Amino acid sequence: MSAAPTDGAARNADRARTKSPGLVRSALRFGEDPLVWASWLYYEEGLTQGEVAEAMNVSRPTVNAYLADARSKGIVNITISSERLKSLSIAGRLQEHFGLDECLVIPGEGGDRSLIDRLGAAGAQALGSLVHSGDTIGITWGRTMLAVARATENRDLKDIRVVQATGGTTAVIEYTPEACARRLAEALGARSIPISAPAILSSAEAKMILLSEPVVAEQIATFDQLDRIIFGVSSLRANSTIHISGFFDSALQQHDHYHNAVGSIAGRFIDANGAQVDGPLTNRTLGIELDQLARVPTRVLVAGGYDKVPAILAALRGGFVTVLVTDAATGEGILRADGAETEAPRSARPGQVDRSADFATRSRVKKFINAPRDAVSQSLDGALRAFPQFIAPIGKSLQAIRSSTAPRAGKVGLVIGGGAGHEPCFLGYVGPGLADAVAVGNVFASPPPDRVLTCTRFASTGAGVLYIYGNYTGDVMNFDMAAELAAGEGIDVRTILTTDDVASSAAEDRAGRRGTAGNVFVFKIAGAACDRMYPLGDCERLARKANAATFTMGLGLEPCSLPDTQRPSFRLGEHDMEVGIGIHGEPGVTRQPLETADAAADRIFDRLMSEMQSLPGARVALLVNSLGGTPMMELFILSRRIQQRLAARDITVTRCMVGHYCTSLDMVGASVTLMQLDDELLDLFDHPCAGFAWQNSPQ
Amino acid sequence: MQAIDTPFLLLFFRAVARRLEENREALCGLDGEIGDGDHGTSMANGFAAVVSTLRDIDAAKEPPSAVLRKASVAFLSDVGATVGPLYASALLQASRAFDDRPDLSLSELSTFILALADGIAVRGKAQAGDKTMLDAWLAAAHAARAQEALGARPGHVALKAAEAAEAEARATATMIASRGRAALLKERSLGHQDPGAVSAAIILRTLSDVVSDLAEQAP
Repeated sequence: MSAAPTDGAARNADRARTKSPGLVRSALRFGEDPLVWASWLYYEEGLTQGEVAEAMNVSRPTVNAYLADARSKGIVNITISSERLKSLSIAGRLQEHFGLDECLVIPGEGGDRSLIDRLGAAGAQALGSLVHSGDTIGITWGRTMLAVARATENRDLKDIRVVQATGGTTAVIEYTPEACARRLAEALGARSIPISAPAILSSAEAKMILLSEPVVAEQIATFDQLDRIIFGVSSLRANSTIHISGFFDSALQQHDHYHNAVGSIAGRFIDANGAQVDGPLTNRTLGIELDQLARVPTRVLVAGGYDKVPAILAALRGGFVTVLVTDAATGEGILRADGAETEAPRSARPGQVDRSADFATRSRVKKFINAPRDAVSQSLDGALRAFPQFIAPIGKSLQAIRSSTAPRAGKVGLVIGGGAGHEPCFLGYVGPGLADAVAVGNVFASPPPDRVLTCTRFASTGAGVLYIYGNYTGDVMNFDMAAELAAGEGIDVRTILTTDDVASSAAEDRAGRRGTAGNVFVFKIAGAACDRMYPLGDCERLARKANAATFTMGLGLEPCSLPDTQRPSFRLGEHDMEVGIGIHGEPGVTRQPLETADAAADRIFDRLMSEMQSLPGARVALLVNSLGGTPMMELFILSRRIQQRLAARDITVTRCMVGHYCTSLDMVGASVTLMQLDDELLDLFDHPCAGFAWQNSPQ
Repeated sequence: MQAIDTPFLLLFFRAVARRLEENREALCGLDGEIGDGDHGTSMANGFAAVVSTLRDIDAAKEPPSAVLRKASVAFLSDVGATVGPLYASALLQASRAFDDRPDLSLSELSTFILALADGIAVRGKAQAGDKTMLDAWLAAAHAARAQEALGARPGHVALKAAEAAEAEARATATMIASRGRAALLKERSLGHQDPGAVSAAIILRTLSDVVSDLAEQAP
């Protein structure tokens, strides 16, 4: 049941209708649950609490308690649907948490206009309500400040002065201190007070001399007369304005002095708590001092963007801000970064009311393990004993595993690998027609280089070796080190990173995506190419082609738990799901309210199709994969829907696999992988193979 | 023992292994929130492997550079993971700081810390502010260098380095991850400390404790 308490008109209309006799129903249809009954009468029928009390024959306070209970138990979910309301709520929490006089938060999405332009408009709006005739206003510099100045409208105020808060710069940027101040003065019809000196001087002596010039001294003196100041804050990240503007010279790179700094206000540097960080620039900077700034009665910070979160937070902690103008996403980030409650009021968040989501109250997850540290080796031992016809240890270590069939001379070797916890990945794909060897790490951890090297030596017959593994920082470092060592032994190694997970990065950043269940298809194609004795270059090309044709997206319903902790790896509410989940028990890209199987399958399908742009008549291989805890029964429900959607597009499912192929321990969830097939890929797909997780009989 | 020499390193590695073992679950928990949950395991196992490899060495014969090289190999070949190459590179870089010297003076502590930080930076290619272990290591290195420049005693240098690392580990909660698995979470990583920075702070706090214990024993 959902209801909109703000919808007063409709409520009154409903109330009018319920006045007619006979409309108040007995409790029968609500069973024994007074909460549901009370909620229905109040929210759906629009009765007042007094009327509900009368209808239910209980007191009004009881009704009030029923309604509160209904909300806290999730019987009634009130959703704040409008972005606007969300912004208001974030503004309120920012204002409260940081003790601000005012806070203006613009919605996260704003159509075509850039964030800076929208912040500029909001800053101008704030300024409009804060500035009065006769005010002296300071303004700093930067993109956001110029946007504020541009968006400011003349409201016929009198006797305004606009003061440039720092010296100037000859840097080739549009948003210089001079430009920002001049533009704002023009917009307000104000008198502009420039600073007739550079912001950064060549020496402290030069600064002293300039300050003794009467013109400059007079201009600087206005800093103490400011009624308002509007300022921005710069992040010190490598790509931020402060580095590319040319405003500062290379002194900023002298990290010995400024390594503690997280942001810059008016050319001064502050640390994470907003304390000034001094360095060689301090006595060479000409502009408002931070303590002067902090004495201005109204201090408006306009800033947004995630990269600015540490800097904005520092400015807030340092007490430099009385009015904050930012965007919803940044505002939420600031609250979260400061450990403030970022959730909307409980009643407004479906799925957040359930105490079982609370990490601390979750019980230990039961597992069939002995000592956690032995889990991986005992599991591998079991696999080796179970499937001796497919796999065998290479040496003493159980974590470097070979195909029971030695590679034929002249065959390109295929080495795969990754952490444990993905079973039957990766060792289930070792055998004839698949990989020659697999390096297994600890749970969700890359195998070390020497183990990969051991596998490489086994797989190498002189024709070169392919490494295929998922694109993760740790795996890349370890496999690259192994490749270097192998090169030192004269083995030609080519690396193919799998990057099939569409949720992990934008389509333009295909190379930055992570590898998930699509691994399996890429292993299969590459294994077949190697088995057909194709030369190294062809094997590499086909593996890349397979990866490029493969797209995966996953949804998580419950976190997994590692043997070492035996606790859920993150919190997930009872009515929530993680969208864009990987295969390491990590949270997904976003969290969404739980959906039905068909809606979830549609969500995945639409995203995959937006990437694949498969035309009618196309052929695909489909893999509906369990992340560990989701049973076949549910996989088939998802698979059915995906098949329906594919059929509606006239796309043929040429090969279909449903089951546990690449898991994330006991995570509840599933992924869907589609590989677009052409004759070449289909031919290799059907090539005979014999791993314990994938066997194709010879045709 | 008033220098960073082989006995010092053995003491240090044993203490680090113990502390990381105590924090194994906590670090896994932190990692689970924004990563894959293996950080505590990898760190504790890695230093346990270092200690186990070094158990039988002859402290009188092995120079610190050799000890650090052995530690590097032991760490890497045991854990792999993400931290394997990073700490292996750190330990290797530290071994180079010794060249063939039998020890580094305790007054050169910042050189030791900086070498470890350097090794991590070179292998991981992260930058300051990327919300990684490097943030804590850099903060510690800078603090140690600043204290040494002021002529502070080694115990104080180590303490300030540890405090800087701890403060920076807390500050990683305000950063957006741009390296490693947490980078996939983008803004959802806000409010969570980086587990690598937290474990780095644990190592640096251990270093501080070892150094101040030695300073107390000094005549």
